Amino acid sequence: MNDFNNLTRRELLKISGLSIAGITFLASCGAQSGIVESANVASAGTVPPTTALSQVVISDTVLLRTAASLEYNAIDTYTKVIDGDLLTGDYASLKDAVKRFRDDHISHAAAINALVVGYGGKAHGCANTRVNNLYVDPALKLITADGNADAARDVVALAHALENLATQTYQGIVALLTEPRLRGSAMRVGQDEARHAVVLAQVLNPGYSAVGPTTDEATGKAKVASVPSAFGALAVIQVSLGIANSEGVKTNLSMETPSLNGLVYDEISC
Amino acid sequence: MTTKTSAATPTAPTKMPTTADKQLLDFALSAELSVHDLYLKAIDSGMLSADEKTMMEMFSDHHKAYAQSLNGLLGKAASNTRNEALYSTYARQLTSAQAMSRVLQSVENTMVATHTDILSSLEGLDGATLVASIITVEARHAAVFGTLPNSNLGSALNSAASSLAPNAAPAATTTETTVAP
Repeated sequence: MNDFNNLTRRELLKISGLSIAGITFLASCGAQSGIVESANVASAGTVPPTTALSQVVISDTVLLRTAASLEYNAIDTYTKVIDGDLLTGDYASLKDAVKRFRDDHISHAAAINALVVGYGGKAHGCANTRVNNLYVDPALKLITADGNADAARDVVALAHALENLATQTYQGIVALLTEPRLRGSAMRVGQDEARHAVVLAQVLNPGYSAVGPTTDEATGKAKVASVPSAFGALAVIQVSLGIANSEGVKTNLSMETPSLNGLVYDEISC
Repeated sequence: MTTKTSAATPTAPTKMPTTADKQLLDFALSAELSVHDLYLKAIDSGMLSADEKTMMEMFSDHHKAYAQSLNGLLGKAASNTRNEALYSTYARQLTSAQAMSRVLQSVENTMVATHTDILSSLEGLDGATLVASIITVEARHAAVFGTLPNSNLGSALNSAASSLAPNAAPAATTTETTVAP
């Protein structure tokens, strides 16, 4: 005997409704007649065309060219500090140190580029665009903003952050360089950047008690340390700059060493 | 963007220390043990101020950590004995608080030069990355001695120290002139 004979009118209506809803759902999932299928994920609006990037090689010379580009970031920044007379007040006495740091970076850039050429690459004689766009330019904009009473101190804080960034870059590429002799050469320069960082750290937070890591009791943040850890760290570098907001907090910039999209590949030129 | 490592060197660098690496890393370990003991001698001298003592205790702990890390990397290949020549050369110069700062800065500069020299010969990446992370901090130690108690830019930044590493290859020649190897 057919079970449908036993269905009530209410049950029959319920089954019909569910059937219609199911068919509608399945139809919406399937291909529709007259519509050209696209490989793209369904989206609203027009999808702009894309251009595939060329395959790039991370060679020893690319890593060294990237290091050279950071030297130019430092050279350009120190030049702006000197030419713009940004070290004033208590920090004016640092002018000679800043000139020495700039001269060191000029020597470092020449040394690294000599290695690049020696290993068959093309010397790179300008700053890393991505580092400028992400870190240096925004930092200088914050520092030179009208009404920033801490501009000179902020300059030192930026210089300290850039020296740490350079130190970490050299230490970081040691793990990527394939030629052992180049690793030693990289650290000959990297250790010099670390020394610069110590001199600046002692300006920002002087004295024996500031050599190791300490914490600001009021804010809970780490203070600037000359020797922040037992081993050279490869971590995000934080720097607070510019005019403080109503709560006394400055804008925080987080810096990281150049990654895949910040390397100076062979086809990149100044 | 697709990336690949250098086409010129299709084989990836080895990770673990080679036999030759182990000899160099063991030398580095023995040197670190010596430097740790030099700091202990300075700390125990009774001639340091409280601030100086605290700082040197931290530096001493760092060198102990380097020795322990190198020991861990070397395993059974670690000799775990200090370099007596290095220790005795500097220990007899620790005659006053002022001399201690000067001598220990010289020791730190020597360690930077030695480790950099060793790094230029290491094939294994584990040893290379460890030594690189030590170099940056030992350079910081040396620079601190140049900034405290009075800041002397030349003392903080310049180093004429020579490497003590045995049979290590020199770093690739550069034209850089402001930093001694």
